[in-house]
Amino acid sequence: MGKNGYQKQVMEIYQFISEHLYFNRPDMEVKGERFNSAILLSLLTSLKRGKELIIGEPGLGKTTSAEFVSSLIYQLPLGVIWGSEVSGHPEQTEEKIIGRPDLGKLNRGEEDVVWTNFAQIPVKIVDEINRLPETKQSMILDGVDRGNWEYLNEMIINEEYCLFATANYQDGGTNTIIAPLVDRFDVMVESRYPGPNLSFLIAKDRRKDHLLRHPQYEKDLYHILKSKIPYEKKIAKIEEVSNAYGEYLQETLGLKSFRKQDRDRICTEMESLELDLDASAFTRMLLAELSFCDRYGQKRVIENCEEGCHYTGYLCHQIKNCASNRLPLSIKQYAQGLTWLLDDSEIDMEHIKSIAPYTLAHRIQWKEEVLSQKERLQRDDPFPIFLAKEAVIAVSKRYREQSDHLKDALAVGSRIFQGDPLQPIEGDHPLYLEIKKDIEARRR
Amino acid sequence: MINPFEEFKSFSPSPPDLPMDQIVQSAEAVMDRIRWGYEKLLEEEAKELVWMVQYNTIIKAYELAERYIMEIDYTAEDIEEFCFALENTRKIPYLIPGPAGIYISALCNYSKEEEIVLKLSELKTEINLIGFRLPKGKRLIIEGDTGDFTGIGLEGGELVVEGSAKNWTGAGMKGGKILIKKNIGLHTGEWMMGGEIYVGGRVRGLGNIVVGMVYVRVYQVFPGKVKYPNLYY
Amino acid sequence: MEKQNYQSLIEEIWPKLKRKHLYPEIPMPLIKGASETDQEAGEENQTVGLEMKQKQMTINSAFVSQMKKKMSEKSVIEALLDHGITHYTFCPWDFQTYLMLYSEAKKIMGDKELAKQVSNYFIDVIANTHCVKHRHTEIPELHRHLKKGMVEEVITSLYQKIWGIDLGISPSKMNKDHIGIVRRLERIPYLDRSRWGESVQRFARSIKPLLIEEEKQRRGEEGKGDRNPQGEHDLSHYSIEEIDQGLRDYAQKTKTLSEFKDVVEDLSDELRGAGYGMEGGMGRGHGNPIDAEVLFYMKLAENYSIPIKKIPLEKIGSLHPHSHSPWEVGSPFQDVDIWTSFGKIMPGITQIWKKKEGKGRGKAEGTPDCLIAIDSSGSMINPRKSLSYAVLGAACATNAYLRNDSKVAVYNFSDAPMGGKEILDYTDRREEIYRVLCRYFGGGTALDLEDLMPLIQGKKNVDFFIITDMKITNLEALIGFFGQIQNRVTAVHIGDNPYAARFEKAVEKKRNISLYSVKRKEDIPYIVLGKIRDYFDPAHLKKS
Repeated sequence: MGKNGYQKQVMEIYQFISEHLYFNRPDMEVKGERFNSAILLSLLTSLKRGKELIIGEPGLGKTTSAEFVSSLIYQLPLGVIWGSEVSGHPEQTEEKIIGRPDLGKLNRGEEDVVWTNFAQIPVKIVDEINRLPETKQSMILDGVDRGNWEYLNEMIINEEYCLFATANYQDGGTNTIIAPLVDRFDVMVESRYPGPNLSFLIAKDRRKDHLLRHPQYEKDLYHILKSKIPYEKKIAKIEEVSNAYGEYLQETLGLKSFRKQDRDRICTEMESLELDLDASAFTRMLLAELSFCDRYGQKRVIENCEEGCHYTGYLCHQIKNCASNRLPLSIKQYAQGLTWLLDDSEIDMEHIKSIAPYTLAHRIQWKEEVLSQKERLQRDDPFPIFLAKEAVIAVSKRYREQSDHLKDALAVGSRIFQGDPLQPIEGDHPLYLEIKKDIEARRR
Repeated sequence: MINPFEEFKSFSPSPPDLPMDQIVQSAEAVMDRIRWGYEKLLEEEAKELVWMVQYNTIIKAYELAERYIMEIDYTAEDIEEFCFALENTRKIPYLIPGPAGIYISALCNYSKEEEIVLKLSELKTEINLIGFRLPKGKRLIIEGDTGDFTGIGLEGGELVVEGSAKNWTGAGMKGGKILIKKNIGLHTGEWMMGGEIYVGGRVRGLGNIVVGMVYVRVYQVFPGKVKYPNLYY
Repeated sequence: MEKQNYQSLIEEIWPKLKRKHLYPEIPMPLIKGASETDQEAGEENQTVGLEMKQKQMTINSAFVSQMKKKMSEKSVIEALLDHGITHYTFCPWDFQTYLMLYSEAKKIMGDKELAKQVSNYFIDVIANTHCVKHRHTEIPELHRHLKKGMVEEVITSLYQKIWGIDLGISPSKMNKDHIGIVRRLERIPYLDRSRWGESVQRFARSIKPLLIEEEKQRRGEEGKGDRNPQGEHDLSHYSIEEIDQGLRDYAQKTKTLSEFKDVVEDLSDELRGAGYGMEGGMGRGHGNPIDAEVLFYMKLAENYSIPIKKIPLEKIGSLHPHSHSPWEVGSPFQDVDIWTSFGKIMPGITQIWKKKEGKGRGKAEGTPDCLIAIDSSGSMINPRKSLSYAVLGAACATNAYLRNDSKVAVYNFSDAPMGGKEILDYTDRREEIYRVLCRYFGGGTALDLEDLMPLIQGKKNVDFFIITDMKITNLEALIGFFGQIQNRVTAVHIGDNPYAARFEKAVEKKRNISLYSVKRKEDIPYIVLGKIRDYFDPAHLKKS
């Protein structure tokens, strides 16, 4: 484990949640260690300040998993987190999400904003985001993208924040999250049924969330959040109470949580991790398959593949849309988080392979024929995650077969960029053509 | 301009080649040359993809074939591979039995090896004219059957066919030995000017033999009792 | 104890191996103790070192113990695992490739067992060579020390030549014929996947005499042959899903019934042994014999599929407040939300409700059942001899309806009044439906409406597909029958003829009947599925 023991702390929080708060079955394995994807990715979302969409059947802990994780990572009592959540329903208003005019001042003809807890605290949880109208979904995601919350002519800036949004499986009865909005989520994960035996235990222990409650600190925090002091000063005061709550957690539960400076340091450590050559080449290969079109230059949702296209065997033939620029960012961010947590020195292919399905599942729009061919296959994951996992496995098989050749092609590409009079290396994968395109662009 | 491949600049190239890579590469280069020669032969000798077996067409085609193969460095395995490539339309679009047989014969005659074994038992087509002008000091062994005009104009070499041969075997041969392990067709030894033909099975009929000897199993059938051509056994 | 030691050895080297092979999706290998057979085998006879069931590799501790005098246990385990992993990561890669290699080898070998042996040797040569070229491996060392029979000696000599590593084989001591075989084998481009089909044939041609000779010797000795210490490559390597996918891909790739049938019949025992059967449609369950022709159409049809019918969303007419937008001077007051406007009428503060028409779930109408009438008269292709696109089209329709939990009935006819017919009542048993679709009568073409009537009469909720060349002798009766029914009818006829023209004219005014004249038989599945897609999703039709 790392010198400062942060990884150990995170793993202890993981264990605690698993054993006391969110009973689960592990559903993924990385480097020989088994994890529950919902808790693992929520931990990474909190630490890496990402955006996570949690799907699942009603009552299977979508929201609570996020609440527990954020309470322990951000040292915020559960009551405050509950009081800051936005619940998704069509009548939800901007005033309940971001802020409202100060009515007293408004009656005196002055403009001032009373910010919601949601806008102010770093942990942002939106319950059933798919039930919000698209305009509200967009408003939240815009705010989270930039860290700015604006109302009337005022603005607060969050320096540190993460977003958890939950959604029921998208069916005809609810609004859906439209593709451009879905793309803004870094990862999608399912909160799964833990099995009848663990579920039975959950029913026995109904008051487990009291472990993370602290009425006094909750009152103090509410008081600060309601106060009229400048936001920056509020944050400092919130941090003071949070630290006290953190000490309480350590005394009562034996759990060491993280102060702001710890979280910042963790982020810096994560940021310093880079992809090794295989991880980089593999990610490029994946991105190439998700964006390439030989005929039309790139994937576009409005264009169909040509019949008899040479690249029929690749993912580009199975999907409708093009990978966005947010995708590689999500992959890298979460792979950094995972690599850091496992205390590895570099991001390797296994880190990428473990993370990629969760970054792809909600972003890929599969062609209907692919969906209909695979929808009844035996599987353990929800359909989009299953398809994404299959896709990542398929690309990784292709990568393994030609890793050396591909890295050669990339190395030659680099040398051509440096001015060497070489010819790009040919190969049978969209990425070779993409390398050529970049080289041609340079030559022109 | 940003170098999007910057991180790969220090990547050392692919693992060293195995001897296999070299072997396969040179075998393929040789095969390309052999194929090219055959295609040129067809271009010149079978423009309409029709070719008639006549004394002068055979001679002319052989002379051309000699010219195309002269500078190729090949082995018996290359010849064998070429025979199978003839059946693969992706590799060689046209298999015209006459020129193909002459070309293969030329390859055998100019091969550096004294003994050539061609394992052709899995070949679906029987190649005609194989062993044409096989010179003295060469031994050509064919595993499998051969087509018409096997060993014609043999020039002192030894041709062994582990299977059967068809009609006109050994026609016009000047010397040497043809050994057919199984059966042989009509006109065997037509205008034969010397040498010996041994047949392990049946001969359907002999041709007009001028000089030479034909044995069926342990019996000498020419010169001997058989006086008339195309006598059926 | 030894077993435990080896297991911990595996645990120690596994992360390194995974990294070396770029993290294949394979679970941690296991070690198994020496079985009685292994103990009986003694020191002299070599046991099998590696077994692979689905993706689980198991190392035989007896083999490691046997080899430990010659090389370290760690190296033995590493070499075996390198080999096993490469089967997954490079060759044969998937079940379809295995089928292709077997089928190409069979064309040369003629015999099932010999073809299996050849494809196994070929797969091993590729896997080992790939590993030696691309990874640091102990495989050469293992081959130096393995006990060798006649074939193994030739293969090791081949390795020596193509890897350029001394493996202890002295060419001068080798049989001349064997040297010739090695010379032929060394020219094969083993690592070029695109040429494996042709390469396995070259491999088989060269090694065939050797295998036949060995087979003879084995028979003479009346003993079992040496088992491959690196494990046999067979169907146990694959899961049922992988086998299913492999058969689907293979059917799609070859599109040749005879080739598919040969392979499936050759491997039918192994398929059943692996738990793959035809019962239950998806090919699950033991026991029943595999009808290769029916399976061919099943797997081929799975490549043509359309989405399951979704319950439509319908607008229900009434407006409801949906979301807020800022009020502007001039906007109607009645839409102002006084609560979120804090009682103020003021631009920037006041908000109005935007109203939206509500959507609700449409009526969950079930998918109708489907009746398929298929012509199997003499002018149609015999589906059990070659690929019949008519049967494939009918198979696609079957899948589409069954996937929507509907039932399918089949009326297979040639000269029906003379007994040339088979009728299957509405059922969801896919295999049974396919069996009837694949029935071929030959002979003339006539329908017996008395058979057809009970299947459709009074059942408004039945879609009717008929695929025929229309050379029906009692066409007038059929036209009369279509005049009476209100069901959605799709008639696909192949080729132009006067009968078809007559039929077309007679039904042109019937809106419930769609008639398709097919020039290219290959289009039938697409036509049938296109029509079903329109039936299932009329909105899609409107949009287009």
